[in-house]
Amino acid sequence: MRTRLGIIPALALSVVMAGASLAAEFPTKEVQIVIPWAAGGATDLVFRALAATTSKHLGKAVVVVNKAGGGGAVGYSEVMQARPDGYTLVTAVTPLTILPHQAKTAFTYQSFEPIINVVQDPAMFQVRADSQWKTLPEFLEYAKKNPDMITVGNSGAGGGVHLIALAFEKAAGVKFNHIPFAGGGPSITALLGGHVHAVSCSPPEGIAHVKAGKLRIIALFSEKHFEAFPAVPTVREQGVNFTMGQWRGLAAPKGTPPDVIQKLHDAFKKGMEDPAFVKNAQDMTVNLAYVGPVEFGKMMAADHDRYAKLVQEIKKQ
Amino acid sequence: MDVVGALQYLAAGFSVATAPENLFYCLAGAVVGTLVGVLPGLGPIAGIALLIPATFNLNATSAIIMLAGIYYGAMYGGSTTSILLNVPGETASVMTCIDGYQMARKGRAGPALAICAIGSFVAGGLAILGLAFLAPPLADAALAFGPPEFFSLMVFGFVVLSNVTGGSLIKSLMMALVGLIIGTIGLDPVSGNPRFTFGQVSLLGGIEFVAVAIGLFGIGEVLVNVEQPAEVLEQRVLVPRFRDLYPSLQDLKESVGAILRGTGIGFGVGLVPGPAPVIATYASYMVEKRISDHPEAFGHGAIEGVAGPEAANNAACQSAFIPLFVLGIPFAPPTAILLGALLIHGVNPGPAMIAEHPQLFWGVVASMYIGNFILLLLNLPFVPLFANILRIPKKVLLPLVMLFCLTGMYSVNNFMLDLWVMLGCGAIGYLMRKWAYEGAPLLLALVLGPRLEVAFRQSLMISHGGFGIFVERPVSLVFLLATLGFLLLPLFRYAVRSLGRRKATAA
Repeated sequence: MRTRLGIIPALALSVVMAGASLAAEFPTKEVQIVIPWAAGGATDLVFRALAATTSKHLGKAVVVVNKAGGGGAVGYSEVMQARPDGYTLVTAVTPLTILPHQAKTAFTYQSFEPIINVVQDPAMFQVRADSQWKTLPEFLEYAKKNPDMITVGNSGAGGGVHLIALAFEKAAGVKFNHIPFAGGGPSITALLGGHVHAVSCSPPEGIAHVKAGKLRIIALFSEKHFEAFPAVPTVREQGVNFTMGQWRGLAAPKGTPPDVIQKLHDAFKKGMEDPAFVKNAQDMTVNLAYVGPVEFGKMMAADHDRYAKLVQEIKKQ
Repeated sequence: MDVVGALQYLAAGFSVATAPENLFYCLAGAVVGTLVGVLPGLGPIAGIALLIPATFNLNATSAIIMLAGIYYGAMYGGSTTSILLNVPGETASVMTCIDGYQMARKGRAGPALAICAIGSFVAGGLAILGLAFLAPPLADAALAFGPPEFFSLMVFGFVVLSNVTGGSLIKSLMMALVGLIIGTIGLDPVSGNPRFTFGQVSLLGGIEFVAVAIGLFGIGEVLVNVEQPAEVLEQRVLVPRFRDLYPSLQDLKESVGAILRGTGIGFGVGLVPGPAPVIATYASYMVEKRISDHPEAFGHGAIEGVAGPEAANNAACQSAFIPLFVLGIPFAPPTAILLGALLIHGVNPGPAMIAEHPQLFWGVVASMYIGNFILLLLNLPFVPLFANILRIPKKVLLPLVMLFCLTGMYSVNNFMLDLWVMLGCGAIGYLMRKWAYEGAPLLLALVLGPRLEVAFRQSLMISHGGFGIFVERPVSLVFLLATLGFLLLPLFRYAVRSLGRRKATAA
């Protein structure tokens, strides 16, 4: 009996040591990034490209797996329950801070350890080039005089750009008529065809048409100017104190050891800086914005609170 | 763009497409496309997405040549399992199950497979002409479709297509209703609130169409077969004779019209936002049946019912490249993934794309001709091989079909619920077959229903609740009048006939 009892601390010790050595040796096998959406979306494309350039810095392959379903809820629920050993990661994207307010999800952003933020896309309103409103003040003045008359398309009800549009109208003190479409593409089509007055979107949506002179950016919600169109002013520069955008980063299940997170962070950061990835990102017109784990966690917390209020508002309607 | 200029560009495109490495990528795309088309569940969407990383080191033209090849190649492959096993290889092949499988049961699997390849080839060739010469004006025309126009078009589609196979009308409408109800599961498209999810997070994204399609047709068919006595299961399904492997002159004659009409329908539908290949196949089948002088043969192995839809889905898939290239907007999921691939290679499709990247646009168009030719050469010799699958005894074949359905479905989203939905629909499909309910109206309603709802609610939001928006806009009005005419036509005919009879008796 005594010998048996003696085994327990020994076992425990060996487990602890194994844990420590696991972290030191990490990674010993391939690392999986779960994308909670179907293949081919913006998040999917960004992280497939990043996986390709990160593998060599991590020393093991980085594979991308799509687990679609439930508007992203299925993938997040699954990774939340995965072993927190750093081998299963998930893309932490704006909807992670929206979904928990829309439905009873088992997860929130707090179910995950932030690793790194990769992309921060500015949100914006676009109008047709021949639109009657040439500037933001004109646009807002019309909206003030004619509440609910300007139709603003978005990529889906309760989605990021819809909620951003709602937040903007509050900040600007106006009221738009929000029209949801099934994705960013259809909303741009409707704008081109003149079926809505404006569209709330984020790049690369509509960018080709802005370059071709068919559409115009009338309101830009980022802090800095947009690289592709440096002449377009932000709304803050025009007197509306408002910035909002969508981010895409990586997170691991809660409880992943800090030194494993650090190793992953360092490898993905190098992968982000790889010229091949930088070029890919430029080609896709996504805005690379590195944010470290601590700051990324704060970003998620802030947006979680912000979206909680916005979702409550549309539920009341 | 004038025709001579376009021909010059096209010639330049051919010199791009016939470069050895591009020929290779075209062939690779066609082969992979055929494979993902043949495997149930795994469709062009997954196929293209999985191969995008493999194109990172290629130049943009080669990459798009290969990825486009996967898309139209899948339209060739998708019909194979529909015909042989009644399992749609991908969603655009649902209609091919109806008559294709009946042809196979009568020992005519060979002609059915061959006519699919021929029909796809002809449709592909003609549709690429449209893509090459009419792309910019057609893309602008497509923009005229806003929410109200889209709603009226969907209503028209519903009324015309609901009774696809011509069984009991009441049963068809019931099935369409079930499809509509299933389509409401998930996040409300306007408020974003969950509907009919019963607190289940996994239902938020709605019910997967592919799972329902494979369940109702494929699994249902397996279950119906399993019931048969043991000695039947020992037998081979049927052994095609060699001279029956390729279509006869009579078959070709009967198919020509269907192929040409299917091409026209498919090309037009491909320009409208929505799941074009699926709708195009339904529409083509419906038209063939309506104008046929032997409509009673449909559902029992009419070759037009295979040739038309197969031509339509191929044409739709080619014309879907028009909004992608010219507007930079994908109208259907597979082109959405191609858009991603274009962006990753630094090509921003849009109004300026053809001028900015003439080499890519014309190279890809030219490669489509070559690709379609490769696919014809690839598919015709395999007809005997595929037809021989039916030599496998049922007791071996059926478990294999089941296995392919399960693995194929799981590979789409790696999502367990899809498998349960598929198995559940398999059980329902079995009962439906027993009591003679059609699966096709249910699937159509499942595809169109959510879009119909969104377009309806979008329109009313734009008009602040006024129903006038549907009749004030000319394109929308035309579709609504056409719908009304279609509904009143039988009444009108009846009235004329009874009037004529009264006159006859009076005289």
